[in-house]
Amino acid sequence: MEKLKVRVNDLHKYYGKLEVLKGIDMTVNQGEVVSLIGPSGSGKSTFLRCINLLETPTRGSVFIDGNETTDKKANINKLRRHIGMVFQHFNLFPHLTVEKNIMLAPVNLKIMTKDQAQIRALELLDRVGLKNKAKDYPVNLSGGQKQRVAIARALAMSPNLMLFDEPTSALDPEMVGGVLQVMKELATDGMTMIVVTHEMGFARDVSDRVVFMANGYKVEEGPAKDFFVNPREQRTQDFLNCVL
Amino acid sequence: MQTWQNKARQIFSLITVCFILTVVFTYFTATATSVNQDETVGSGKKYIIAMDTTFAPFEFEDSQGNRIGIDVELLEAIAKDQGFEYEARAIGFDAALQAVESGQADGILAGCSITEERKKKMDFSTPYFDSGISMAVSNDNHSVESYADLQGKKVAVKVGTEGAVLANTLSSQYGFSVVTFDDSANMYEDVKLGNTVACFEDYPVLGYAISQNIGLKLIGEKEAGSSYGLGVKKGHNTELLQMFNDGLENVKTSGEYQRILDTYIASGESISSVIDTKESINFFLLLGETFPRFIEAAGITLWITAVSLIFAVILGLFFCALRISKWKTLHVITKVYLWIIRGTPVIVQAFMIYFGIPKLVGFTMPVEVASIITLSMNAGAYLSEIFRSGIDAVDIGQMEAARSLGMPYMRTMQKVIFPQAARIVIPSVINQFIITLKDSSILSVIGLSELTKVGKAIVARNLESFQTYLILAIYYLILVSLLTALSALIERRLRRGKIKGSGK
Repeated sequence: MEKLKVRVNDLHKYYGKLEVLKGIDMTVNQGEVVSLIGPSGSGKSTFLRCINLLETPTRGSVFIDGNETTDKKANINKLRRHIGMVFQHFNLFPHLTVEKNIMLAPVNLKIMTKDQAQIRALELLDRVGLKNKAKDYPVNLSGGQKQRVAIARALAMSPNLMLFDEPTSALDPEMVGGVLQVMKELATDGMTMIVVTHEMGFARDVSDRVVFMANGYKVEEGPAKDFFVNPREQRTQDFLNCVL
Repeated sequence: MQTWQNKARQIFSLITVCFILTVVFTYFTATATSVNQDETVGSGKKYIIAMDTTFAPFEFEDSQGNRIGIDVELLEAIAKDQGFEYEARAIGFDAALQAVESGQADGILAGCSITEERKKKMDFSTPYFDSGISMAVSNDNHSVESYADLQGKKVAVKVGTEGAVLANTLSSQYGFSVVTFDDSANMYEDVKLGNTVACFEDYPVLGYAISQNIGLKLIGEKEAGSSYGLGVKKGHNTELLQMFNDGLENVKTSGEYQRILDTYIASGESISSVIDTKESINFFLLLGETFPRFIEAAGITLWITAVSLIFAVILGLFFCALRISKWKTLHVITKVYLWIIRGTPVIVQAFMIYFGIPKLVGFTMPVEVASIITLSMNAGAYLSEIFRSGIDAVDIGQMEAARSLGMPYMRTMQKVIFPQAARIVIPSVINQFIITLKDSSILSVIGLSELTKVGKAIVARNLESFQTYLILAIYYLILVSLLTALSALIERRLRRGKIKGSGK
């Protein structure tokens, strides 16, 4: 029996009168890699952001390791330490060097000393192949390099769940490979990952399960191998016909 | 809006509220202390006498910046005779009238005419001087020889003077229009330039000016004018009036009164050569001569501006915090504050704070305190908007990235948002600092002895408006350049790092 990492119950999200999530249920097991795919405006990103409460769900609940994050009494700052997030636009801190970007949270949250954090930062940079960029400022990096730094920054907090919000969408095509490679390695190392992506190759080859969302609903999900071969729903077939 | 933001914003706002309350409290304690000081000194009661800055020969400054004149000497003689203490404050005629009305000053002695209208709000001493009004035209003007020649022309007067009243009365009869000036020097300059053909002014004042070779000449006989007296707020300071009247009687008997008059007005017409007669003034001579006074005034301009800016930054941060708070009612506070400050001129705010509020509440404050309040309230409003725009300009993704790492809101603000916002707002903040430095010149209207006020006083004495204002401009340029250089230094230090290498 695999260990349950994330459980989402009947999640609804409204922006004013507009309902963007219309009751989503989902579970993710420990070590599982789940790809969220679907057309723009389907609610994938909003759903992902509800998991670490960057968006507050209007209704429904989210459990991580059995603890309810949507509980009003939950210490969300503590919870977030263990949930890494990678954004489409990297969101590196432009006023800090690459290594300081990575060190900021561990040092400020008193998880590591400055020296420990620096050693850790260099290890992580080495892992994403950017050790020589430690003293550079983000402005001097390419998009792909920025995204690899962003992943290293998230990993510095030693998360046990990683959320990726379209991590390669803002990249030039030749930069995509490097970032996907890093993500693939993470997956191989057993990291639990939820990935909102338009990279069908990644969804098929790296993830264990694919979830298709459209119009605020979870339309269909299945093991990555079968999903692309035998989509059941008409909408899934239409979408796949467009993107493949 | 998300809950984590809300909660953190509450805390952020609360902290700032505490901070600002401390500041406000400090303001008022400072004010209260100075008021108390005044009162303790006044156990024998120290009277504050408001005077005009420049109304030669009644009150003006000699080249060393000493205040001299008939009013100045007469007051000194009478106070000595009666044994009362006083503090003379040269704040300008209009401001002096308001100071008496608002209780900021006990009396006005500024060549103040005793008129029916003023008697409604003020009590006057027995007259100490019988004035009159003369008309003057430019030396090159040979066409105006009587009032009748003013038909269709423009005539200059000084605001609030008897000359102005006379000119307005005559204007319909002789068909000329009236242009009003704030001080005599500008009025003379205007006549000399030919914008207006003639001016009306109290004859001793005009006589003194003409003796200084300003290029004007007297035309016709003087009109009988009313008399000058010491004015106090109606029903107040009756003992001061009594002492002034008794003292005046005594100095007249002793001959001191006549001696003072003779010093400044020989044979009731021309001005004695005791007062520095005017040679043509060399620019560099003037620069050197005015140096000590301008340096002192520049110091006052600088420290008032510096202190105001410190408070302004605190106010700006505070109102900015209210503005980005989650409580909508707090937004309203900032909006109302901005509405009032942006909607009214600084000069009006200065008058309100120095004269208006003390009158309503019944306390007085030193002009420096009023000046600092005015400037910091003003700059604070603009800074709060600048700060808000800076924080808004930082991409929301920065906040999300830091929060997603588990950083609390305040920490994120401190480590991620503020450093970036600071860089964004620096140019606008420097700009506001420069504006505030220059706005301090407006405080001359409430009598702060900063650069512009001193410049005006010097012009009133030497009537060299162009050269003196040129020198004044140089001082401002130097101050602003210093401020800009300092800011550039700070900006470079703050930016260090970001630009290094290539720019995006």
